[in-house]
Amino acid sequence: MAEVMQDEVYLNYERPEFEHPSLDDIDPLDYMNDFDDDNFAFITKIESDQIIYQPQKLKRAKLIGKYLLGDVLGEGSYGKVKECLDSTNLCRRAVKILKNKKLKRIPNGEANVKREISLLKRLHHKNVIQLHDVLYNEEKQKMYMVMEYCMGGLQEMLESAPEKKFPIWQSHNYFCQLIDGLEYLHSQCIIHKDIKPGNLLLTNCQTLKITDLGVAEALDPFAESDVCRTSQGSPAFQPPEIANGDDTFLGFKVDIWSSGVTLFNLCSGKYPFEGDNIYKLFENIGKGEYSIPEEMDSLLSDLITGMMQYKAEQRFTISQIRNHDWFRKKHPLTLDYVHPPPLPGSEDCTRTMTVLPYLDDLHRGEEDDLGDYDDEAVLSESLVPHEVHPEVVECTPAPCTAETASAPSPTHSQTKPKKKGNVKKFQFNACKPS
Amino acid sequence: MPLFGGKHKTPQELVRNLKEALTYLASLNDREEKKAAKASDDVSKTLLAIKNMLYGSVDQDPQTEVNTQLAQEMYSSEMLLLLTENLPKIDFEGKKDVSQIFSNLLRRKIGTRMPTVDHICQRPRILKILMDGYKNQEVALNCGQMLRECCRHEDLARRLLYSEDFYKLFKYVEVSTFDIASDAFSTFKDLLTRHKILCAEFLEANYDKVFIDHYHELLISDNYVTQRQALKLLGELLLDRHNFTTMTRYISNPDNLKLMMNMLRSKSRNIQFEAFHVFKVFVANPNKPKPILEILLRNKERLVDFLSKFHNDRSEDEQFNDEKAYLIKQIKELKPQEEH
Repeated sequence: MAEVMQDEVYLNYERPEFEHPSLDDIDPLDYMNDFDDDNFAFITKIESDQIIYQPQKLKRAKLIGKYLLGDVLGEGSYGKVKECLDSTNLCRRAVKILKNKKLKRIPNGEANVKREISLLKRLHHKNVIQLHDVLYNEEKQKMYMVMEYCMGGLQEMLESAPEKKFPIWQSHNYFCQLIDGLEYLHSQCIIHKDIKPGNLLLTNCQTLKITDLGVAEALDPFAESDVCRTSQGSPAFQPPEIANGDDTFLGFKVDIWSSGVTLFNLCSGKYPFEGDNIYKLFENIGKGEYSIPEEMDSLLSDLITGMMQYKAEQRFTISQIRNHDWFRKKHPLTLDYVHPPPLPGSEDCTRTMTVLPYLDDLHRGEEDDLGDYDDEAVLSESLVPHEVHPEVVECTPAPCTAETASAPSPTHSQTKPKKKGNVKKFQFNACKPS
Repeated sequence: MPLFGGKHKTPQELVRNLKEALTYLASLNDREEKKAAKASDDVSKTLLAIKNMLYGSVDQDPQTEVNTQLAQEMYSSEMLLLLTENLPKIDFEGKKDVSQIFSNLLRRKIGTRMPTVDHICQRPRILKILMDGYKNQEVALNCGQMLRECCRHEDLARRLLYSEDFYKLFKYVEVSTFDIASDAFSTFKDLLTRHKILCAEFLEANYDKVFIDHYHELLISDNYVTQRQALKLLGELLLDRHNFTTMTRYISNPDNLKLMMNMLRSKSRNIQFEAFHVFKVFVANPNKPKPILEILLRNKERLVDFLSKFHNDRSEDEQFNDEKAYLIKQIKELKPQEEH
């Protein structure tokens, strides 16, 4: 909550330098209706008679460049992730919205994002998330990373499952893909350093995508070994050498350990190491004593033991994992497949496209209800702080009416100027805060 | 035979029929066209029935029990060898069915065992026939597909890589028929990249034979496509972390550097661009051997000049521009090695 408050305080007063050399080539963009709900929350007094009842929350079309935004898919420390639609090729995408202000408050936040973008740009593999586009809005100090659309992540699926785990064959499928993706990353001299179910996403066709390379490290291609010095990954998935605070450690083996913990977690719903706080957790990992749940068969427990060897040198390599019998085995299918849960606040298990209502709004607007609110014109004038663009005005006989009619509530209508039929013209200058 | 096709043939019957028809077809000579047409027809029908049994059809899902029996029959009658040997005699649709049957069988798994992979491992002749298939236009693409299917399995990929037949691919990727050449190239690329550790060990152990005796020929090929693909693949191989040793060895050889520097000035912009991605590795190497350093020093001014004008229109390719700027800086700062 504190973060939201601060956002409001800094609003429009702080224009910190936010230059990404790697982003210089991005064209100045057109933004339409790209307002944060929290950014324009000026306190306004509203008379009760001005509140117009709107039975349904309207979905307002919002365009970032050529991308039409949909609902929120998830929220990270940097900002939201929303579904979106590339309006030029109709591909379903996800956009990570990064706010500079939030980024600045996270240790290494900006550096991590910069690194992630430069890494993702050169990676092309079916099990590594594809970055399609990066957009930057200087005015609003926001960055948009447009990526492949994934229907959900392993973490949320695990959380929705009764025992917080997958059936073996399902875990096996994801694990094999994880190893494929990881092998590719390692072949490109990249150590992910934060492998965990939360960073593994799935597409609609069950293709696993490794994501979040924010703390990844690219090795010097000429370095003889994969020795690393820093790690910022998630504590529960860190190997003993990091928990013990060793100065240097072997990078590739960190990912092997984390993948071992991930496999442990996918198959059992448990974690090999726990602790009330990070110190106790690291102490436990440092001791390296863990027990493998009894329900795991001997092959699986052998694989996990190999991947979670205390000494990094003795830990399995990717090719040892590939040749392990548990990896090669065909695991019998069972009926207890774990589905991705519906998005929070929705009941749609299939996760259909959330862009549709926005698309509807974009192209049809609120023509239907124009007539009903003709006599509200006077009322709405006082509620619209933003200038209505001439283009918008000319396409409807009673522009102010439209404002009111379309607004879910008066508070909304002052935060979001209404775009009308002529979307193209509106894009250029209508929405820049004065 | 019943009037409306042998619908309920058992796997044993199908395989026996196929074997009989195939052996008969193989025994015929060119003049016996009529008999051949009949036999070929039988072969294709049986192949279709076998394929439908393996994959299932509209009204029948594949049945595990039946398929196990079918696979067993195929192994015990040496059907895979027979099919690959006689592939040229089978008609067009039949060939496609053979390749589908082949890949279905290859993916069979019993627990951790892959019975078809083991079967082929014991019959390396099958791999040899497939590889030789590239010589024959009629079957080249079917064989290519089956080879790549084999390549998915490390054991088979190892056999293919370490056999003398592998070096035939260097010829096949240059044949004048474009579809065969490009099919051969994708098999070639699959073999060299799919199983990272296997490939790295192979390249290390056979460095001279692969790079000096054979790969070099591709890089100086008159065939534009061959040259470009080979150059691109070389860049990928060298920059793959698994091939670290091979990379170090490659970039220590002054002949390779000279070749790349010449290619930077190739007539084709695409060749220039691919060559750049190999050339950069020589320059970025922090431990340049003396001969490499000397060549770079001798051409210092010219290289800086050349690179500053090199593909300046690629302004949107950020990574390329960064790399180019880095190379120019590196070359400017080059100093002769101090003698101790």
